[in-house]
Amino acid sequence: MTQPRGRTSARRLWAERGAARLVGAGGLAVVASLAGILVFLLVEVAPLLGSSTLGAPSPLAGGEVGARALLVDPHRTHLAELGEDGFARLTELETGRERARRRLLDGADPSLLRGVPEDRLLIAADRAGRVRWLRVDWPLRYEGRERVVEPRLSGVEALDLELSGSELLDYALRADPDGASWVGALSSGEVAVVSIETRTNAFSGETRRQTTETRFEVDGRIGRIAIGPERRYAYAATLEGELLSWALDRPSAPERVELPGRAGALAPLLGGRSLIAGLADGRLIQYFRAPGPDGGTPLTRIREFPGLSGPVFAIAPSQRDRSFFAADRGGEIALFHSTTGQRLWSGRAPSGELFALGLAPRANALYVAGSAGTAALEVHNPHPEAGGGGFFGRIWYEDYPRPEYVWQSTGGSDEFEPKLSLVPLLVGTLKGTLYTLLLSVPLGLLGAIYVSQFMHPNLQGVVKPTVEIMASLPSVVLGFVAGLWLAPRLEAFLPGMLAMLFVLPALSIAAGSLWRALPARWTHGRHEGSELVLYLAVLVLGAAVCLELSPSVERAVFGGSVSTWLRETTGLVYDQRNAIVAGIAMGFAVIPIILSLADDALSNVPPDLSAGSLALGATRWQTVARIVLPAASPGIFAAVMIGLGRAVGETMIVLMATGNTPLLDWSAFNGFRTLSANIAVEIPEAPRGGTLYRTLFLAALVLFALTFTLNTAAELVRERLRRRFADD
Amino acid sequence: MTRLAAGALAICLALVAGLIVLIAARGLGYFWQSPIELFELADGTRVLGEVWNWEPRPGGAGRRVRLAVGNRDLTGADFRWIDESEILRRSRPEDAGVFERLEWGKFYGFPAQLLRGDRIAASGAEVWKEIRPLLAEKAEVRARIARLHGGEIDDVNRELERIRIELRQLRRRGLADSERTPILEAEREEYQRRYEAHLVQLRELEDELLAETLVLRAADGSLVRLPAGHAVRAVRANRLRLPQRLGLYASRLAEFLLDDPRESNTEGGIFPAIFGTVMMVFLTSLAVAPFGVLAAIYLREYARDGAFVRLVRISVNSLAGVPSIVFGVFGLGFFVYLVGGSIDQLFYPDRLPAPTFGTGGILWASLTLALLTVPVVIVSTEEGLTSVPRGVREGSFALGATKFETLRRVIVPAALPGVLTGIILAMARAAGEVAPLMIVGMVKLAPSLPIDAHFPFVHLERKFMHLGFHIYDVGFQSPNVEAVQPLVFATALLLILVVLSTNLAAILLRNRLRRKYASSGV
Repeated sequence: MTQPRGRTSARRLWAERGAARLVGAGGLAVVASLAGILVFLLVEVAPLLGSSTLGAPSPLAGGEVGARALLVDPHRTHLAELGEDGFARLTELETGRERARRRLLDGADPSLLRGVPEDRLLIAADRAGRVRWLRVDWPLRYEGRERVVEPRLSGVEALDLELSGSELLDYALRADPDGASWVGALSSGEVAVVSIETRTNAFSGETRRQTTETRFEVDGRIGRIAIGPERRYAYAATLEGELLSWALDRPSAPERVELPGRAGALAPLLGGRSLIAGLADGRLIQYFRAPGPDGGTPLTRIREFPGLSGPVFAIAPSQRDRSFFAADRGGEIALFHSTTGQRLWSGRAPSGELFALGLAPRANALYVAGSAGTAALEVHNPHPEAGGGGFFGRIWYEDYPRPEYVWQSTGGSDEFEPKLSLVPLLVGTLKGTLYTLLLSVPLGLLGAIYVSQFMHPNLQGVVKPTVEIMASLPSVVLGFVAGLWLAPRLEAFLPGMLAMLFVLPALSIAAGSLWRALPARWTHGRHEGSELVLYLAVLVLGAAVCLELSPSVERAVFGGSVSTWLRETTGLVYDQRNAIVAGIAMGFAVIPIILSLADDALSNVPPDLSAGSLALGATRWQTVARIVLPAASPGIFAAVMIGLGRAVGETMIVLMATGNTPLLDWSAFNGFRTLSANIAVEIPEAPRGGTLYRTLFLAALVLFALTFTLNTAAELVRERLRRRFADD
Repeated sequence: MTRLAAGALAICLALVAGLIVLIAARGLGYFWQSPIELFELADGTRVLGEVWNWEPRPGGAGRRVRLAVGNRDLTGADFRWIDESEILRRSRPEDAGVFERLEWGKFYGFPAQLLRGDRIAASGAEVWKEIRPLLAEKAEVRARIARLHGGEIDDVNRELERIRIELRQLRRRGLADSERTPILEAEREEYQRRYEAHLVQLRELEDELLAETLVLRAADGSLVRLPAGHAVRAVRANRLRLPQRLGLYASRLAEFLLDDPRESNTEGGIFPAIFGTVMMVFLTSLAVAPFGVLAAIYLREYARDGAFVRLVRISVNSLAGVPSIVFGVFGLGFFVYLVGGSIDQLFYPDRLPAPTFGTGGILWASLTLALLTVPVVIVSTEEGLTSVPRGVREGSFALGATKFETLRRVIVPAALPGVLTGIILAMARAAGEVAPLMIVGMVKLAPSLPIDAHFPFVHLERKFMHLGFHIYDVGFQSPNVEAVQPLVFATALLLILVVLSTNLAAILLRNRLRRKYASSGV
C-alpha cells in the first residue's frame, strides 16, 4: 500500500511519519513496561541469591599486636582491646589515637583473657583464681546533626577465688545491671559457680553486692565453659567428649549429651536457645533443648556445619541474627548460618596466628587480632536465612521437636528465629486450587457442553450474560459472603450440604425423566433447553429439603454435632472457615471462566462434524462424547488451565474465606494459606529491602511464573485450535 | 449425561441468582425499620429489640430467636438469644423507639424525660412530640461544627504547617537569621491566635449540643442520659405508617450514600469510599486508555506481523491471567518505594522522614491498576480493529488517504465500540479489584478526600478509601462482625451494582459492534 510520492503534500507525509513514530514508541513502551514488571521482580529477588561477602582485610592504625579480646561500638567509631599484658585500651578507629587505658590484672594468663560483646565486658584472669573485669560504654550524643560517641571504661570489678592449690582452667562470665554470674573449671575437677547480685537502694542510691559461691564435682575434666544470655544456662565441655549443661539457679545434676570430640570454643547464639560447639578437629555442631516425646526438653544435637580445616578456637555469634563466625588458629575464618546449616563464606585472615575475633554489634564488620596486628573486614551478609535450603528444605527450628516445613516470618522479639519455608504456602496454594477445581471443573465443563450443544441460541442469549455476570462479581464480595455468611451456615448444615453432592446429580436425572413424562402439549414447540426451568425448580427444591433435614440427621446420626463427631472418630479438626468454603467461593470465580472458554471451544467445532455423526445414526450424547469433545479437547484443556491459573492467584477470597493458617495438610475441613494471601497479609509490615520483603517478592515471582506459564500454554493451544478449525 | 449437564448448568445459574438475591435482600433490608418488640420472659426479664432471625436451637429441639438489642453501653452485646419456650408474651409497645446515637450505637427503649438544662421540659410519651424539631436543630449545629472543622480550622492548620516547613527550610539552608524568620514567627502567632478564637467558637457550639438531654429508659428499667446533640435519629418504630417508613428508608439510604462513617466505620455512611473508588477508577482509565489503545494500534496496524508480534500478543493475553497481587507487589516496590521515594528525596526533603509520595496513595494505586488492566484494553481494541472490514480500509487507500489518515478517519471511528468496550471492562475490573490496593494505598479511614478546596485541589499522594476494602475491613476487622453484616451487605450490593452496570454497558457495546459488522463479511 505504498503511496505515490509526488502527489502527497509534505504536511501529510510529516503527519504520517510522526504518527508512525508516536504509535511505535507508545506501543513499545507499553510492551516494555509489561516486561519491566518481570525484570523488576527479578531485580528485587536477586539479592536473596547473592552470596555473603567479606571485604579485604584493612589493617588498623595504632592497634597493638597481641590483643586477646576485641569490642567495637555499634557505629564502629572505637575499638576496645584487651592486650596480652592485661591492659584494656580504647582507640579511636579513624585516627588510631588511644582514648583511654586501664590495667585489669598484672600477670594475667594470656589464655584466660576474654571479651563478651553482648555485655560489653573485657575480662582478665590468672591461674590462681584472680578475676578482673570492666565494662565498656558507648554513650551517644548529638552535636546538631553530628553523632558523637564518647566511650568510657568502667571501673574494674574484682573476684578473688580461694582455690587452695588447684588451678583455674577455664571460666565464663556474664554481667548485667542486676548482677553477674561466673562459672569456672578447676584443676581439682570441681566446678565453681559464683553469682553476684547487685541491689541498688532506690532511696539512697547505695548499691550492695552479695556474692554466693557454690562448688560441685563433675565426672570428667572440663575444657571449655560458656554461659547463655540472661544468665539462664551454663554449658561445659569435657575433654572426654561430653557436653554438660545446667540451669544456673539449679547447679546440681547437670544434663549430659555426647560431644564428638574436644571442644575448642562454645558459643550461645542470639536468643540463648542454641549453643554452637567448635571442636578440635574443626567440626562445628549445634545443640538446643528440643521438646522430646516424653514432654521434657533435653539438650539435643541438632546439626553439624561444614567444618574448618584446623581446630576451632573462637566463635563470634552475630547479635542481629543466627549467623556466626568461626576461626581456627591458622587463620581460616568462615561464616555460617545456624537455621539453614549453611556455610555462607569462608576465607583467610591476614598472615600469622590468630588471637581473637570481634564482630561489630550490627554484624557489619569483623575485627581480627593476630600476630600480624589487628585488621577489619567489612561483612556483607544481608539475607542469611535465604537460599534453597531455607525456602524449601525441612529445617529443625529452635523449640521444635523435629525438622519441619514452617512459615512464621515474624515473632514477638528481635531474637525471633524467622521461619521462611515456602512449602506450607505452596501446599496451601495447591490445596485451595484442588478443592476449587474439584467443584468447578465438572460444573463448568458440563455446563459448557449443555450450553453449546443442547441449547437454542435464543436461550443462550440469556444464559451467557448470566455467566458473564458471575465472572465479573468482585472477589472481595465473594470472599465476604463465603467467610461471613456461608461458613457458619455450612457448619450448621454440614450433613445436608455434603448430601447435596449426591442428591443433586440424582435429582438432575430424575428431572430429565420428569420432563419426558410431562404432557406433550406443555413441552412441545418450546426452545431446546427450556427444560432448564424444570431442572432449576427440582434442584432448588432438593437443596431446600437437604437443608431442612440436615439438623435432624445431624442429631440422629452424628450425635448433635458433626464437628465433634469428626474430631472423635477421625481426629480431623473442623475449622469454620475451611477448604470447602474457599473452594465454593473460588468456584464462583473459576466456573464462569471454564464455562465460557470451554463453550467457545465447543462452539467452534465445525457443525459438519457433528452433523455427519448424527446422520450416521449416533445419538446426541454419542456425538458430543465421541466427536465434539475430542475435537475441542485442546480448547477444553486450555479452559481448565486458565481456570487453574485464576484459582492459583486468587487472593481476597482466600484471605476472607479461610483461616489463613499456614498448615501442611490436605484436609477439606480446615483452612490453609496461599502464596497470594500471604503476600497480602505480610508485605505491608515487611521492611523494605529486608529478607522478608524479598522473600515475598520471590513468592510473587513464583506466582507470576506459574500463572504466566499456565496461561501461555493455554493461549498457544487455543491459537493452534483456532487455526486448525479455520483451515477446515 | 445430558441430564447431568443440564443439572450442572442449572446449579451454576441457581448459584448466581441465589448470591445476587441474597446480597440484594440483605443489602436493601439494612435501611428498613422493622417493628420493635418487647419480649417478656418466664424469669421476669423484659427484652426490647428487633427480631433478627429465628433459628433451630443448637443441639436441641425447638427454636430460638436472635434479637438485636443495641444498648451496647448497658449490656456490652449487640444481640441476645432467647429460647422460644421461655417467652411469655410478645408485644409492640407504641412508645418504644430506637435512638441512633453518635456513640455506642443504637439504643432501644422508651423516652422518659427531656431536660433543658436541669428543667424537665417534657416527660413520658410527650417527649416524642418535641424530639423531631430538636434533633433537626442539633443536626444543624453538628453541620456547623463540621464546617468549622473542615473549613476555617483546617485552613489555619495548613498555614501553620506551611510556616513550620518554611522555617525548617530556612534552618536547613543556614538562613535561620534572615529577615524572613521574624515575619514568619509573627504570622505564626497571628494564626495561633485565630486558632484559639476558632476553638472558643467550637466549644460554644459543642455546649449547644449538650444543652438538652434525653433521659431514656431501657426495657429493664435502667436509665440512660443522652445529650440531644448526640442523637442522630429517634424513630418511634411501632407507630410508623408506610409513607413515614419509606421516608425513613430514604433518609437512611441518603445517609449511607452521602455521609462520612462513624464508630470506626461500623455506622454512618460510606461516601468517602464511594468517592475514592470513583476517583481511582477515573484515574486508572485516564492512564490506561491512551496507552492501551496506542499499543493495540501498534500491534495491529504498524508492527510487522511476525514472531515478535505473536509473542507480544500471547504475552499480553497471558498477562491478563497473572494474579492481581503480583501487580500489587510490583506497585509497592516500584511506584511507592522507588519512584515515590525518589520524588520525596527530590521535592519534599523538608517533610521527611514523613513520606509524601513515598507511601501508598491514590496515584500509585491507579497506576498499578492501569498496568493490571492494560491487557484488557489491548485485547478489546485489537478485536475492534480486526473487525473493521478490509474493504473499508482499501477503499480509503484507493481514495489516496495515507495510512495515518485512514486510521484516524476510518478505522479508529469504526473500531470505537471495541475501544470503549475495552476501557469499560478495564474500569469494571479496576472497581472490583482489592488485593493490589491493600498494599499500595488504601486505608481503613482516610482523614480527607483526595480532592478538596486547597491548592493544588487534587491530592494524588493521599491515601483513600475504597468500597472493596471497606467490605473486607468492616466485615472482618470490626469488633462485632455479626452486627455490622447488614452494612457490609449494603456496601457489597453497591459495589456489585457499580461493577455489574459497567460490565453490562461493555457487553451491550460489544454486541452492537458484533452486529454492526456481522453482515459485512470480514
